[in-house]
Amino acid sequence: MYFSDIGIISLILALGFAVFTMVVATLGATRELPQLVASAKRSVLTVAFFLILASAALIASFLTHDFGVSYVAQHSNLAMPWYYTASAFYGGQEGSLLYWALMLSIFSAIFVFTAKRAPTVLVPYVMATLMGIETFLLIVLTTVSNPFVRLPVPLADGVGLNPLLMDPGMLIHPPMLLMGYMSFSVPFAFAVAAMITGKLDSEWLRSIRGWMLAAWSIQTLGLVLGAWWAYHVLGWGGYWGWDPVENAALLPWLTATAFLHSSMVQERRGMLKVWNLSLVIASFALSIFGTFEVRSGIINSVHSFAYSAIGAYFLAFLVIVIVFSIGLFIFRLPKLQPEQEFDSVISREGSFLLNNLLLVGAMFATLWGTLFPLISNAVRHETLTVGPPFYNQVDGPIFIVLILAMGIGPLLAWRHTSTRALRRNLGIPALAAAICAAVLPLLGIRDIWANIAFAVCSFSAGAILYEMWRGVRVRHRHGEPYLFALYMLFERYRQRYGGYLVHLGLVMLAVGIIGSHFFQVQQDAVLKPGQKMDVAGYKLVYFGNIDRTYPDVEILTAQLQVWHDGQLQQYIYPGRQLYARFANQPTSLISITTYGLTDLYVFLANWNGLSEATIRVFVNPLVPLVWLGGIVMLLGGIICWWPQRRKRLVSVIVPHTEKEPASERVGAGAVSGGEGALAPPSVESIIGHSDGSKAEVAPGREGTLASPPVGVLSGVPENDEEATT
Amino acid sequence: MQTAVSVPQEEEKPESRRRRRLPISFILGGLAILGAVIYLVYANTQANAVYYFTVSELKNCSICSSQSVRVAGVVQAGSVVHNDQQQQISFVISDGGHSLPVVYSGIVPDIFNPGITVVVEGHYTGQGPFQAQMLLAKCPSKFQAATPGP
Repeated sequence: MYFSDIGIISLILALGFAVFTMVVATLGATRELPQLVASAKRSVLTVAFFLILASAALIASFLTHDFGVSYVAQHSNLAMPWYYTASAFYGGQEGSLLYWALMLSIFSAIFVFTAKRAPTVLVPYVMATLMGIETFLLIVLTTVSNPFVRLPVPLADGVGLNPLLMDPGMLIHPPMLLMGYMSFSVPFAFAVAAMITGKLDSEWLRSIRGWMLAAWSIQTLGLVLGAWWAYHVLGWGGYWGWDPVENAALLPWLTATAFLHSSMVQERRGMLKVWNLSLVIASFALSIFGTFEVRSGIINSVHSFAYSAIGAYFLAFLVIVIVFSIGLFIFRLPKLQPEQEFDSVISREGSFLLNNLLLVGAMFATLWGTLFPLISNAVRHETLTVGPPFYNQVDGPIFIVLILAMGIGPLLAWRHTSTRALRRNLGIPALAAAICAAVLPLLGIRDIWANIAFAVCSFSAGAILYEMWRGVRVRHRHGEPYLFALYMLFERYRQRYGGYLVHLGLVMLAVGIIGSHFFQVQQDAVLKPGQKMDVAGYKLVYFGNIDRTYPDVEILTAQLQVWHDGQLQQYIYPGRQLYARFANQPTSLISITTYGLTDLYVFLANWNGLSEATIRVFVNPLVPLVWLGGIVMLLGGIICWWPQRRKRLVSVIVPHTEKEPASERVGAGAVSGGEGALAPPSVESIIGHSDGSKAEVAPGREGTLASPPVGVLSGVPENDEEATT
Repeated sequence: MQTAVSVPQEEEKPESRRRRRLPISFILGGLAILGAVIYLVYANTQANAVYYFTVSELKNCSICSSQSVRVAGVVQAGSVVHNDQQQQISFVISDGGHSLPVVYSGIVPDIFNPGITVVVEGHYTGQGPFQAQMLLAKCPSKFQAATPGP
């Protein structure tokens, strides 16, 4: 018996249990039989178990070098290190689908384990939807894309993985991105469940927001890792090429970001229900579309993946998903009325709407560019493509306006902001922007667009930092040391401060992009030993090539000295690796050294024996900020997502109270299980995030409190977005 | 026990009120932004669209000397010639039907080899080789559906 036999059996059993779950969960929900729902929950766990078993079988086949399995023979060989061998599990078409199915089952299992946090009515339908998606994947895995197919005659040694893919970045970027695509299934399942049951209240919002935050964070990580890998391995000096496959990963990220903002409007004011549902469905549809596009070969991309029949399956699934979702949508439309109205553009809602419009606009623009070959072919019978200049010139301005909105938004109040408050809040950020706009040209930066972009970034960074400073200052006045106050702010107001951190990260990312886009310097040189090359203040002196031969690989490096500001900085060794098995395919060892905030990127283009080298040098200003910004964004996303423990009640002395049913105030449903009322006392809030507007308590209540409720000293409800409004 | 298809609890507002949902400022603002985005897309599509030909289609091209175009094809074995003094590389690509000689100066991607698919962008006068300004090589196919041989 081979491991692959276990694999096939596990896949078939998983498929069976997935279908079982769908039937039983739906029956349990419609016939009101909790035993059936419990059975469905256990069935989800069984599916996860069998998928884990199947994945283990595949990894075991790899590690035991079972070259009788066609997939193993295609993607590994005896000479590969064990970690690359194991990672080949998700390196090919069939394996990556198995990985996807595995991750979906694990997320479904996590959902089952945390099902108590979700509204009870929704649970069966969420499970049914997740298992529906799982069923599709398992059908594909057991029919056209089976990783466990055996060869008639086992090979003595496999083909192995392409050297370009045997790289640490390749170990983590694909699984992260695949997991990201998959993770949009859970918010989608919640959306379907909500449309079926009609339950679209704050409890539902809280659950779906949490899962969408997780999906967003994973997708952010996948995108940043992909950019990082491209920069460090491919040698063209950049990190994002607007390739169709890259765009496919960006599209659901854009709609997810839009949802995370507009859901706050629904949470606060019960509006935009239809819009939010559309965004969740769109995110999932785009993730499926991305997979379809990447695997079908329908769009020509430098990331060529197999052109097999599997594309048709994904397209069919995509059509089913869209038709099903629209059908449910129309069914539920009468119940999706907004609870309130928009009052003024100069408000938090207004800025969120702007944010959404810009993000969705960017999404459509990017989608248009990606699909343009197909569109032009269909309309004019000629194939045209658009390249990076198109995307840079369309998405660039959109993102700059987005960053501007990002700075202004948190300074606006819900419903309407008075001009007085506006002036007070915008003062410092505007000052920051003015200083930046004045100083940069003096430092030699003349490009008008770069200056505008930098000024916008300083505006937003100024706004965010100022808000954080105000919060810290207020807490400090009440006795906390500064750093502790900052920590407490993050601890208490995760959604708000996590959001600030994400925005800060995005500003850093933007600054990095602006720097590297506008100010990159590129120079080539052919050097003989002793010759030097000057580029943008750096001097490189060439000494010759070093050729080292190992059993499996030959490594050729050029030895160069780097001088900066008249001082020797270090020696660098850009080079190439030539694997014995892939003689025609050298991989690059790119030398990237960072001086302050600038990267010196040196690529060995060509060489002649040991005493001549052609090098291409890029001086990339501000690129380290791209990676740093990405990490900060991820950190912020995790903080936003981190579930808050249910707070205990702390008694608060109140001078005079306006007793109200606090269940309305904590309408997020956070205080479930009857933790009782929090009487909102009219004590002055000690967080000075005031923007001079009327206090808004909960959807439907029109300013019943004169002063904002305190969130600081007593238990804070989970949608602790702000202590004041 | 909650029913599966339940009426949401916050639906207390009577349906009879038919107020204006969106103030005019929102509509105008939204239209302005959408208009700006559509304009950006339209203008830049016009400016940046590049024809994408197969090798066979290129032969009949009349605008290829004045405009930059893209062509895809497979690099033919034995056709790659490196010219190190001029930092040039010349090779022949084919789409199964016709072949096209290409000349390119610039950095050659690691993956470039006979047998792989490349996309070149540049000009073609109809005589002589295709003058490529950009060379893109397709990433190694991770998901290759090829069966390995012994």
